[in-house]
Amino acid sequence: MGAEEQNIKEFKLKPMKCELNFLSKSDGSAILSQGETVALASVNGPLDVKMQSQSIEKSTLEVLFCSKGGKPSVGDRYKENIIRQTCETAILSSLYPRTAITITIQELEDYGGFLSCCLNTACLALVNSGVAMRHVFAAVSCALDDRGNILLEPTQQQLETARATMNFVFDSRQKSLVTSFTEGAFSEDTYKEALARCRSASDLVFSFYRDIVTKYSKVIG
Amino acid sequence: MAEIYKLIHPLKYFNDYISRNIRPDGRKFTEQRNIKLNVNSLKTADASAVVKCGNTTIVCGIKLELATPKAEEPNQGFLVTNVELPALCSSKYKPGPPSDHAQVTNCLVSDIIVNSKSVDLKDLCIVPDKLAWVLYCDMVCLDNDGSLVDACIIALMASLKTLSLPSVTYDCETEEITVDENNKTPLKVHGMPVATSFAVYKALESDMLLMDPSTYEEDMCGGIGANFVVCCNNGLLCGTQKFGGSNPSTECQEEALKMAKHRVKLVEQVIEKCIKNNEIAMSR
Repeated sequence: MGAEEQNIKEFKLKPMKCELNFLSKSDGSAILSQGETVALASVNGPLDVKMQSQSIEKSTLEVLFCSKGGKPSVGDRYKENIIRQTCETAILSSLYPRTAITITIQELEDYGGFLSCCLNTACLALVNSGVAMRHVFAAVSCALDDRGNILLEPTQQQLETARATMNFVFDSRQKSLVTSFTEGAFSEDTYKEALARCRSASDLVFSFYRDIVTKYSKVIG
Repeated sequence: MAEIYKLIHPLKYFNDYISRNIRPDGRKFTEQRNIKLNVNSLKTADASAVVKCGNTTIVCGIKLELATPKAEEPNQGFLVTNVELPALCSSKYKPGPPSDHAQVTNCLVSDIIVNSKSVDLKDLCIVPDKLAWVLYCDMVCLDNDGSLVDACIIALMASLKTLSLPSVTYDCETEEITVDENNKTPLKVHGMPVATSFAVYKALESDMLLMDPSTYEEDMCGGIGANFVVCCNNGLLCGTQKFGGSNPSTECQEEALKMAKHRVKLVEQVIEKCIKNNEIAMSR
């Protein structure tokens, strides 16, 4: 068990680079690269909302996902749904009733683990926009290779040969699971192991968030 | 009185039930609704099934068509799923183009079928690069009362199990296709994926799992699409999905996996028995 625990502590994620306030006109924006995968997110809000989607209890969250090709597809709706549901749990939307918050995400480069990169970018953009949030969240992806090894943050080649890929999103307070989605078949034990590994890996993402925010803010740090 | 109470204090009303270890519809937390299944209900479809899980009603029909395989995968056929949520199934949906929720449900269903590898697309190929079967699997929801994905998968699997493909001869030189409707071979279906939805309710100290939730329960536990969906096939997991909503603890998840595995046997029995009954009825 001891050796395994060390392995968990010593894992590495792909190098992350981030720039906040990348766009000048939006309320909050972030560009994030995880390895070679790059996503750009902008947050606007709280702003005016159409009568039909207005809610008197909370703000409406709208997520727009733009793929590189520009053509909207069913797959994009699915991604939007994942991002919207995840951000909805994080945002204190009851503070902004009768308004809308829009998140726009633009795909720049996809070399594996794109959706988790999108989620992290969206989170950083939300932090940057100053929208009140319950917690921040970190997405970590992993893949299961032919021999049954779990690879954190797989590369594109690893993904092509993988038996299964799993994505998990954790909140920053209790590291509880906010969102998960998987592809491929795997056993229950593998699922649990992958979940535990990704959970400890999410610490790295959270500390990265902290570093970025410290760098950009003159008050904290 | 209870109705008024429900309107004025919706959360408290729900919480009162949950804190007494019972759900508003009288079920226990781990109790699922009755499943009613009927296969070959539509005569115009090549295979069909109607399933009712409680009030949730899904009609699935499969139509066969012939097409040329994709150039990238010349030895594979196609399986196209489509989930329709018309305005009549719930007041939440408006008439018009498919809603986001319908598209997301469709993605979930097709992902589960692909990940479980229950239909080998190579079986659908007739002549590589020339001719292959396309299975158009249309699922229409007549009544949406929660746990949509579960019902869709049951309906789809029951239809696939009853589907048989007519034999086709293809003349490479004249490109003539002849379909022999009298000579049919059943489609090979490997395994039986079964999806189980759970609503996660965050009570004060611990979180609760509500198996096979109704729409009302889904609304109280984080809204549309926040279910924790576990799909089992042959003892393996072939997709666990959860998008937002309340966060289940690790123990909760383990419990969910256990319950989902248990439910697989039950659903398998339902489908097999239904198909057998149908065969007996057909042979008479």
